[in-house]
Amino acid sequence: MIRSTIITLSIFAILFSSCKKDPETIEEVVSSDLHREILEEFTTNVAVDIYTELASHTVSLDENISLLVSETSETNLNNCRQNWKDARLAWERSEAFLFGPVATENIDPRIDTWPVNFQDLEGELASSNAFTPEYIDGLQDALKGFHPIEYLLFGQDGNKTADEFTVRELEYLAALSANLKELTSQLSLGWTSGGTNYSASFAQAGNGSGVYTTKLSAYEEMVNAMIGICDEVANGKIGEPYLLQDPTLEESPFSSNSITDFTNNIKGVGTVYLGKYNADGYGIEDFVREHNLSLDAQIKQELAQCEAALNNITMPFGEAITSQQVQVQAAIDAINQLASTLQTDLLPLVQLHID
Amino acid sequence: MRIVLPAISFIIVIIISMNSCRQPDDWNDTSSNDEWYSGGQQTVFISGAGAYSSAFPVMSPRNEFVHEVGDIAFEQTFVSGGLHNPGLGPVYNSVSCTSCHIADGRGTPVGPGTNIVSLLIRLSIDGQDPHGGPLGIPGFGGQLQQNSIFGTEAEADLSITYSFQQGQYPDGAEYELRIPNYIISNAYTSLPGSYLYSPRIAPPVFGLGLLEAVSETTILEYEDEFDSDGNGISGRPNYTWDIEKEQMVIGRFGWKAAAPSVLQQSAGAYNEDMGITSFLFPYESTFNTPLNFDSQPEPEISDSLLHAVAHYVRTLAVPARRDVNDPIVQAGKKLFFEIGCESCHRSEMRTAVNVAFPELSNQRIFPYSDMLIHDMGEGLADHRPDYSASGFEWRTPPLWGIGLTEVVNGHQNFLHDGRARSFEEAILWHGGEAESSTNRFKNLSATEREAIIRFLESL
Repeated sequence: MIRSTIITLSIFAILFSSCKKDPETIEEVVSSDLHREILEEFTTNVAVDIYTELASHTVSLDENISLLVSETSETNLNNCRQNWKDARLAWERSEAFLFGPVATENIDPRIDTWPVNFQDLEGELASSNAFTPEYIDGLQDALKGFHPIEYLLFGQDGNKTADEFTVRELEYLAALSANLKELTSQLSLGWTSGGTNYSASFAQAGNGSGVYTTKLSAYEEMVNAMIGICDEVANGKIGEPYLLQDPTLEESPFSSNSITDFTNNIKGVGTVYLGKYNADGYGIEDFVREHNLSLDAQIKQELAQCEAALNNITMPFGEAITSQQVQVQAAIDAINQLASTLQTDLLPLVQLHID
Repeated sequence: MRIVLPAISFIIVIIISMNSCRQPDDWNDTSSNDEWYSGGQQTVFISGAGAYSSAFPVMSPRNEFVHEVGDIAFEQTFVSGGLHNPGLGPVYNSVSCTSCHIADGRGTPVGPGTNIVSLLIRLSIDGQDPHGGPLGIPGFGGQLQQNSIFGTEAEADLSITYSFQQGQYPDGAEYELRIPNYIISNAYTSLPGSYLYSPRIAPPVFGLGLLEAVSETTILEYEDEFDSDGNGISGRPNYTWDIEKEQMVIGRFGWKAAAPSVLQQSAGAYNEDMGITSFLFPYESTFNTPLNFDSQPEPEISDSLLHAVAHYVRTLAVPARRDVNDPIVQAGKKLFFEIGCESCHRSEMRTAVNVAFPELSNQRIFPYSDMLIHDMGEGLADHRPDYSASGFEWRTPPLWGIGLTEVVNGHQNFLHDGRARSFEEAILWHGGEAESSTNRFKNLSATEREAIIRFLESL
């Protein structure tokens, strides 16, 4: 009898605790604040911070390309190359959240399309077309943005010297960097001011936002974007050149920056998860730690494994697809594993607890 | 007895506890529960930027693989020559499928001074081609391509300006409509003195496989060409030429239902919009014009890749509805039916049984379209016939997923040329057969009008 009573009571306890969905309890009120703060700090510490940096690096790039035009020296060239890589870092991190103005204003394809259309690019250089802002704006995507700039700065084999630049190349380069500066500035402003002010739309999800009618929809947006970039890196950026054994499909071949690009994409996933780029604030991490510490540990471990796997590829990516296939496959597997955890564990957790 | 007592208390405890766990929402009117699933089993519960881009959730591994192949091709940027994706142009509107159908969604018109990407202009002169389709303008064909590859002339420049018209509801509230005006200038050769043109915005591409899977019989259920029921609405199908079948069939896709299948629609877009030839359209759109430099009928995209792209589009899932149980949304839905919107924006139909493609077979879907063409009045008319569709007729576009346009595409520009800047403006433009519904909408209270819009946002 005593044993039965204990069982009955414990069943009571279990069933009652499973009913704990009462919004009046203190714990839920605290959670609700946290859920809101995570969204707010994503906008300030992650999106705005990264896009501001991106815009500032493209300003520096444009300035240094102007210097390169007036004095085509190795020093000036190296400064441009460094600016390009700095801008790439911010951009690739931001690809872990490809929603908002970058998508709706169609900025992504206009600044980051590859491979470069060499045939038409050579035609443009050989022509006497005036490279006005309007003219550049109207060009095909494969003739503008990061990768044609990369091609002109680094050269086909990555060893271009300052004395190899032609006048037309410098003219084209200056016009392209002005266009990139303009579009990344537009992207940054889209999150901070102007007509859209996407930060407000995002942070006020479920609280009057015209875009996100529930908090959950904003959380799903973040998680689906993280999953999306994992899929893109594993099965697109790495997977396609590897599957087809075609090094000309590599993302950043001229600067040998592809592995760094991929690594920054994965770091971007971590940035969104932790809510940490420069400043460290609330992130999805804090929500997960409320509910499932082992999932938090698993996600962090898998993020580290992805970075380690990419780090194990020691040759330029275009060579690695034929000469380091074990390492390339291991990187694909690690990133797909992370995507799977985000899809099957993180997303349902978010859907269960965020309203 | 000593054993029975705890057992009873055990059962009672379970019953009591289960009751206390019951969420009131779970026990609502079950008749509407299916409505969350706009695309039947091929519905996805994603309400963010990727809402239109998800593969069917229920699909064989093989079909999933082909979907992935088509997905990559859908995003490929074409270039004029070289190793990768050559064949662009010589004249074109755009360089990839996704640059118009952004995130598989809806294009937007742009103002003066900006490059127009996701809107195109169909052209014709009076008369019909051998199959009853529009007759292209000599030297330009059936579509204006305002871009060209390096070293080639584009057909002309295109720009849009807008004028505005103020209006007032019976209750005194004011509204404004935006009227587009298209300027075609700098044509590479002279345009005829009079010609017909029709602007078309890139529509969303999800759910098309399900619409293709609806039988002709089902579509014809709503046909009422001579308005025998006297409700002022006389939907009829467009009949169009199917290149593969070499016969006239019911048109299903495009703003005037002039495309018979997803495959032909896709191949047509490759050909006209990007200048990419295929087995269905082996000649460049510039064939027989001074702009042509490639007279060889050779496909620039392989048959298998074209089929994969069509398969990709066919197997894009429909996003689930949101807020179905919200009382305002429910009130809006009731009004939507009451004022007659549903007479054309048919809420529900079932796809045909198809044992060869079980993913599409026998699904109860909620597209909010009858797939028929209707006279929409002078305000929206393009005055350009397209097969059996007159210059006043347009196909009822599906409304499923339309509430997510803002989050996916960042705007609420609707109708065939994106002129409407909100749901409200889109409704107010409805004339012709829809005029009486529009008038009834205008006569509703502000709260009721808002409820209808809330309902549309939940789709």
